[in-house]
Amino acid sequence: MADGLQQVKNWILERHPERQDIAPDLDLIENRLIDSLSFVEFVFLLEQESGVSIQMETLEVDAIRTLGAIERHFFATSGAEVAQA
Amino acid sequence: MPARPVAPPAGGLGWANLGMDIVSVNRVRRLLAQYGERFFERMLTPGELADCRTSDGLDVLSLCGRIAAKEAAFKTLRVRGRFLPWPDIVVRRSDGGWPLVELRGAAADMAADSGITEITVSISHDVDYAVAVAAPIIAPTPSSHTS
Repeated sequence: MADGLQQVKNWILERHPERQDIAPDLDLIENRLIDSLSFVEFVFLLEQESGVSIQMETLEVDAIRTLGAIERHFFATSGAEVAQA
Repeated sequence: MPARPVAPPAGGLGWANLGMDIVSVNRVRRLLAQYGERFFERMLTPGELADCRTSDGLDVLSLCGRIAAKEAAFKTLRVRGRFLPWPDIVVRRSDGGWPLVELRGAAADMAADSGITEITVSISHDVDYAVAVAAPIIAPTPSSHTS
């Protein structure tokens, strides 16, 4: 797992100490690991770790629904292009 | 897992899907301390931030109330697959102190798609939490008129 993605995972786990781990396909929204307010903070973190500028207004929920999706959208080699799609 | 029941969509004659939200003062205070005002500049317009400002800086309870009102208003729209378009749901303090919601951009489009013309909100807060409840105003449709 890329360092940036691990930081994202750690950030979520720190806020949900009842969880030991987060599976790559776990739905972060359905499981209430990210809500509207933490989403804004999460975007700050994603920008910092991935180096990608994120437009919150156009970001699709599915792009951050799971750690797997986050990896594909923000930590792939051409993440900057994908994230803006 | 059994199939979930299907809720009615936003809008529609006779329906007023309420929205409600609660925001923790501790949580917002932490965000303000950690990131400063720039964090809230992604959520609130300059006018909203001005409404929340006192001589001592941003008032955390006012921030919480605005955030709760935006979330409550967004919930009335019942939009799938999108996050709250924070700056597009503008909650200002009117003359008299009542909150007024203005929908812009993506939020206005979402509301129009559901036949919602306005959203009315009420905000309350006390020490540790702010809450808001919102109700949509549905546009009359030609078929809803009776002669």
